[in-house]
Amino acid sequence: MIEDTKLLVVKDLATTFATAGGPLAAVGGVSFDLGPNETLGIVGESGSGKTVLSRTIMGLQPRSNVTVTGSAILNGFEVVGASERAKRQIWGTEVAMVFQDPMTSLNPVMRIGKQIDESLRVRLGMNRADAKARAIELLELVGIPSPEMRYQVYPGQMSGGMRQRVVIAIALAGSPKLLMADEPTTGLDVTIQAQILNLLDELKDRLKMSVILVTHDLGVVATRTSRIIVMYAGRIVEMGSTRDVFQNHRMPYTRALLESSPKVSNPSHTRLTTIPGRPPNLLKLSDGCSFAPRCAYVTDRCRSQRPELEPGEESGHFFACWNPLPTTRGVRSS
Amino acid sequence: MSELLDEVSLVERPEKNKPLGVLFWICVGWITLNIIGAIFANVLPLQNPLFEDFNAINAGPGLHHLFGTDDLGRDIFARVVYGSRVSIAVGAGSMLIGFGIGAPLGMLAAYRRGRFDAILTAIMYVLLAFPAIIATIAVLSFWAPRSLLKIILVIGLASVPLVYRVIRTATMAIATKDYIIAAKVQGATDGRILVKELLPNIAPIAVSFLLIGIATVITLEGALAFLGLSVNPPTPSWGNMINESRTVMAENPWLVIFPSLALCLFLLGLNFIGDRLRSHFDVTEVKL
Repeated sequence: MIEDTKLLVVKDLATTFATAGGPLAAVGGVSFDLGPNETLGIVGESGSGKTVLSRTIMGLQPRSNVTVTGSAILNGFEVVGASERAKRQIWGTEVAMVFQDPMTSLNPVMRIGKQIDESLRVRLGMNRADAKARAIELLELVGIPSPEMRYQVYPGQMSGGMRQRVVIAIALAGSPKLLMADEPTTGLDVTIQAQILNLLDELKDRLKMSVILVTHDLGVVATRTSRIIVMYAGRIVEMGSTRDVFQNHRMPYTRALLESSPKVSNPSHTRLTTIPGRPPNLLKLSDGCSFAPRCAYVTDRCRSQRPELEPGEESGHFFACWNPLPTTRGVRSS
Repeated sequence: MSELLDEVSLVERPEKNKPLGVLFWICVGWITLNIIGAIFANVLPLQNPLFEDFNAINAGPGLHHLFGTDDLGRDIFARVVYGSRVSIAVGAGSMLIGFGIGAPLGMLAAYRRGRFDAILTAIMYVLLAFPAIIATIAVLSFWAPRSLLKIILVIGLASVPLVYRVIRTATMAIATKDYIIAAKVQGATDGRILVKELLPNIAPIAVSFLLIGIATVITLEGALAFLGLSVNPPTPSWGNMINESRTVMAENPWLVIFPSLALCLFLLGLNFIGDRLRSHFDVTEVKL
């Protein structure tokens, strides 16, 4: 493996919670990697383990009841099993995080300028004046008008979109190499969502960062990611370039997911396709494919044996399915 | 990025805070007056609270003795003002001890959780289950000789579990908020998060509880004084003045009315300020 050129290498990463009902594998053995200046999308339904996966890669876990196995090497630093003290060295400067709800991710009793200053002064050792100048620069960078004035205000005086920009500015303060964006637009109005996504995209190129975009909204990842990981029940079921996943998917779940999102081209009053059944109980996973109970193409083998990720035709395209959908590439190109 | 400028209109003007109200400021004035009186009692033109004027025994309120005199001819006004010293000292001193120990422990437990929290909370709840007044009465009855410092210490320690519980609950509500995790993944140390992020957020709750706590503790001192377990006579305190006047209530009602009134108004003022501050700072997220 060419690990030297990779920013993040995740191998067999599993996060298990000890619950009253037994061990719950929120993430059950996930491997992937991420190159520099790349945007990776992680998609899945609620409860598919995408948020737990992103937090595990960050090294953020509740202090008890959780075991993490496998490895996640971020720019040469093994996150799994690292002490809080060691992780504090990479937090902010190697990896930073943008949260889902900008209403709760800013401290309501601290001026926003001070919230950006904090990490500049504490982590980068800047003095007061330099930190303020840099903070204003960052506010400008994330597209906040009249940043000198905004520097002084409290989060409660800003709208959701503006706050999310501030959250991004805070994340950028330590010039991280990887930006983890966990549902960065879910808490925002639809009109603001596109602005924030464009901003992230633009900053990624300008600052030469990598971005992991965790979302349940396929529209979010469609145009802005280079690669997509589809998760189901804590595992990767399909992984590949954005084009492959959208147009040449082989796993029935990916197709079901794509079909269940509304399209502008649909005639009005079209019923949305839904996936029958519900996501599996992670405490009672069968030995077979987790999607088997809801799959239209299910066979006996699916129920008894779990499919592993297998390479598809295109390089970098993987899927976990015993009965993959026929490839559509040939049909489309003709 | 010009389209972003449209967003300026979405930024809210700083909201004008609702005024705290006239009654609030009257209460603040009253409490301040009491505190000033207590601190400067020996400088103010007051009569000696221990001087026994045998020419005016059980006198009613008048020009010479504003609130009248007690059965030994001592000036009640002077005694009420001097009496506030004990009450205020006990209130402030024991809450200082209670918060000094209870608040850091409560914050730490709520932030760290896990075994540390479980053990500490179990201990505190066991202590809470035992009535504080019985404990203080028991300790003060046997720990002779009584002094103001001992009373403050005992009441202060007895208030630790209460403070711990309030602060821990308040911190827990904040500790899981995203901005705490955000500070953490920006590389902030635990100490920094506790002091810079958590403390300012629980401060409004802590301050209101502090004021109400002072009021409660002053009542407790009154109860102890009534049982003769506070400072020794002839040092006046509101509690022991009420206690001593019990026997002469029929002949000289002023003797019981004035210290009771002083105690009552002081507590009412504190409670009102605490309550008003709590509702004032009760920041339910600004509606956008």
